[in-house]
Amino acid sequence: MIQATQEIRSGWCVVGVTGRADGECADALEAVLRAAVEANAKVAADFSALDYISSAGIRAVLQAARAAEGSRREFAVCSLSPPVKKVFDMSGLHHILRIHGELPC
Amino acid sequence: MLTMLEEVVLLAVDEHTGDLRSAREFSTAYALVGAVFFDLALARRIDTDTEAIQIVDRSPTGNATLDSVLAGMAARPDLTTVREWIEHLFHLRADLEGEALASLTAQGILRHEKSKRLWIVDIERFPLIDNVRQRDVRQRLRETIMRDGIPDTRDIMLVSIAEPCGLLPYVLSDSQLGARRQRIQMLCNLETISRKVTAAITGLDATLRQAMARVV
Repeated sequence: MIQATQEIRSGWCVVGVTGRADGECADALEAVLRAAVEANAKVAADFSALDYISSAGIRAVLQAARAAEGSRREFAVCSLSPPVKKVFDMSGLHHILRIHGELPC
Repeated sequence: MLTMLEEVVLLAVDEHTGDLRSAREFSTAYALVGAVFFDLALARRIDTDTEAIQIVDRSPTGNATLDSVLAGMAARPDLTTVREWIEHLFHLRADLEGEALASLTAQGILRHEKSKRLWIVDIERFPLIDNVRQRDVRQRLRETIMRDGIPDTRDIMLVSIAEPCGLLPYVLSDSQLGARRQRIQMLCNLETISRKVTAAITGLDATLRQAMARVV
């Protein structure tokens, strides 16, 4: 299960994601992030409370980031929790995603 | 839409002769198993993390090859890692390729030709009837590698299977491949399944080298 919150801070739409981004929740995660991208010029996905991410979860993030790139919106992934940071580091996602240690706002 | 397995096998068909290219036979076999895992992942039947592979939905996909592999996985809960599964399914390599070729033939994309060389040796070829699909796969591969943007996840999977199969030189020139080597490696590293396919190939290479050294 994942839970998502949204708030606007200094022009950024911050999407806070809590729980586990696995195969069962990947569609929901992608939908939440894509909806934020469609409605906002700048989106920051806050993963500080995300406990786990699987390959399906990573694909969901990539698809949302791709949608943002296609519509010339800013999309950043921020404040990765330690287990999620480990997966991102192993996958080398910093090469194609904008990743921040802290929220950009 | 073609499956990932069908796309990789289609890419391996020589567009001029209908011969199957298998520049690195063992690598291709592992990569075909990887392609089936990608198909199952795209169909939301399995999921992976840094080590383990899990079935998240046992319901059939409607594709006989994928459903056979899925049923086999459900029957072996003792195998949990991606690498164990890749090695366990290695023996299915000929079936996977054959079923993909049969499906591509049934869809009117390939034609199956049989002949004999010197009246004895069986020769099989699969000339293209409809080259649009192969052109599309090649174009997606080219764009995913040559452009710097965020690729579609399906195309990331395609690159990470085509690379260990040794199929990229049929799509891009040596200079293009040289110039984009870092991008190719980055794309191949993104997916756990392709990382494990590469590790399995490397492990097999090492085993073969040790065996050869003992023989010599």
